[in-house]
Amino acid sequence: MPFTIISGDSFTSTGAGVKIPLPSSADFFTTENITQEAASNPNTVIRGRWFGKKFGSGASAAGSGIKVVKTTADLTSAFSAGTGFTYVDTSPVVEAQSANAITSITAVNPAVVTQTNTYSDGDILQFYSTTGMLQIAGMNFQISSSSGSGYTLLGLPATASNGFAAAATAGYTRRISKYGAVEPEFLFITNISQATQAVVSTSVDPSAHYVVGMKIHLSVPYSFGMTQANQLTGKIVAVNAVSATSNIGAYNLTLDIDSSAFTAFAFPASTASPTAALFATLAPAGASTQFNPVTGVQTGYDFKVQPFRTGQFTPYMYLAGGAQSPAGANNDVINWLAYKLEN
Amino acid sequence: MSFPTGITSLNNMAPELPVQASEDLLSTPMFSLIHSFGVDLHHAESYIGKTTRMSRFERLSTEGGQLDGSGIDPASEVPVRTDIDATMEIYAKSIVTNEQVVLYENSKTLTKFTALLGQWLREKEDLLMRDLFSSSVSYINCTGGGNGDQPSNLCLKDINNIENILLGNDARSMLTSLEATNKYGTAGVRDAFIALANTNLCADLQLVQGVTLKSAYPTQEGIRPEEYCAISRFRFFVSSKAAKTPGISMRANTVYTIPMYGLEAACKVEQNNYTAVIGYRPPWVVSSVAQNSQLYAKFAIARAITNQNWLSGLNATTTLAS
Repeated sequence: MPFTIISGDSFTSTGAGVKIPLPSSADFFTTENITQEAASNPNTVIRGRWFGKKFGSGASAAGSGIKVVKTTADLTSAFSAGTGFTYVDTSPVVEAQSANAITSITAVNPAVVTQTNTYSDGDILQFYSTTGMLQIAGMNFQISSSSGSGYTLLGLPATASNGFAAAATAGYTRRISKYGAVEPEFLFITNISQATQAVVSTSVDPSAHYVVGMKIHLSVPYSFGMTQANQLTGKIVAVNAVSATSNIGAYNLTLDIDSSAFTAFAFPASTASPTAALFATLAPAGASTQFNPVTGVQTGYDFKVQPFRTGQFTPYMYLAGGAQSPAGANNDVINWLAYKLEN
Repeated sequence: MSFPTGITSLNNMAPELPVQASEDLLSTPMFSLIHSFGVDLHHAESYIGKTTRMSRFERLSTEGGQLDGSGIDPASEVPVRTDIDATMEIYAKSIVTNEQVVLYENSKTLTKFTALLGQWLREKEDLLMRDLFSSSVSYINCTGGGNGDQPSNLCLKDINNIENILLGNDARSMLTSLEATNKYGTAGVRDAFIALANTNLCADLQLVQGVTLKSAYPTQEGIRPEEYCAISRFRFFVSSKAAKTPGISMRANTVYTIPMYGLEAACKVEQNNYTAVIGYRPPWVVSSVAQNSQLYAKFAIARAITNQNWLSGLNATTTLAS
């Protein structure tokens, strides 16, 4: 049963999780923390190994694998859940991992989540069963300022005037891919301002998906109040240009839609679930080019972002970050190799 | 009566060949391909880049326009063009076969492997179109079903809401009406938009008020096998591979995504001369000792949502989930 190395490389860790696209399915994956291997008695992971489903009962559990910790004598054991390897080979791209319970989500802008977790800044999480905030159950959010005990949702202005009467007191999350199966992907809307140029807040950073000049189509169910915005198409004139304030989140798009005379946008109450119509979303609707002959600037022609294309490449291997995980701590040099069995 | 001894039986004369192949192969499983037939087909030429641009001129405003006799011209309007771009992508799969397989198998393995690759081509294309629908379209949660989940199970109110959205956006229906005939138990079917659903929703589809199952259509001529029923202005096509996301409803149940659309809502772009390429690399090319040969299939495809106004859909859970 010979192995073929299908890919391999090296990276310098930032301490965060790392996603490694693979050219084909993999059966074995290994990491070496070159920096820590050279250190004396660092008590950190120096080697990680992951075994795919071809190994049957010996296969690694989701989010786990085998780790070697360098102390006075190297210790071999399994990664605890969520701190090892996560292999993702299917689309839609919810990573294979167990649900993680949250303790609370504050009703402020930006919302802050209390949760024991192994997530990294920039991860996107799917929230569900969010008791007290059921109006966001099923949405996904990008996280920042993460620690082992919580993180911030810059895309959730969970204020009273935006429909959030109280904090969430329970719920669950799962990490999902940062990109949809196809890009540009639809995004969840968390607020639309009343302005001559409407500012649309989104649950994730839109700059990874949309650029100035692109058009978006708004879907705003009646339960969100701003019925006039439903089914409108507008052009993006700025991305993340408005600072978070009041009900506007830090992740936002400014549109050429005059919403100043629209009724206010607000989430339906949590108590309206499950009968309230959900969710407010935006989806890609093409682009219109503009050329400014004075500045020589042309907008709407970003071929890296604008065209419909594959978003999240699968399969990929997600390496959890940190000293006790395969992606290592900040500035650690990590070598990795992916293998496939030939038969 | 005496019995002869030394009977020749299977114990001392087993058949020379212990097994024979039946006259027909069993069917290779194949899921229903529902995500491509309702979309527009475009073609890309070679040698002019990998991005295809589809353009639409938006209609002019109908406001004003009356000349009041003052001699003042009405304000002119600047036409708006919307460009939809799609990037061409190439997908491929291969089968490497050792010569001993070809030598010892008593059937034509390479021919069958070629058929498998052909099936892969169409299945992969279908899944890519499914991903387009599931990633890049706005969906609305069902709320009218009674299972208490968020989204709920399907009901007529939710389906009619999507019809309202599509008609409000001037979408054109995809399928022509089926005229009523004088057949007992059948009914005419209105011209309809297309809806694509997972097979796990079939039980719920049967329960939606006003459903017309396929068997009750006035004719079966030209009806695709993967069609399941008609509800309101939608005809539902089902596949086991239609989009679903496990564990994300309010109650942590699977959420099913149902794209519902009319004419020119989405498209796929085929690269000329690269739509379906199947080839063979002989052993003396693949292997230094000429023992392994290779069959491959590849195709190029670009995909796009061409008009979000003419495409919407529902998120639903199943009744059984509650």
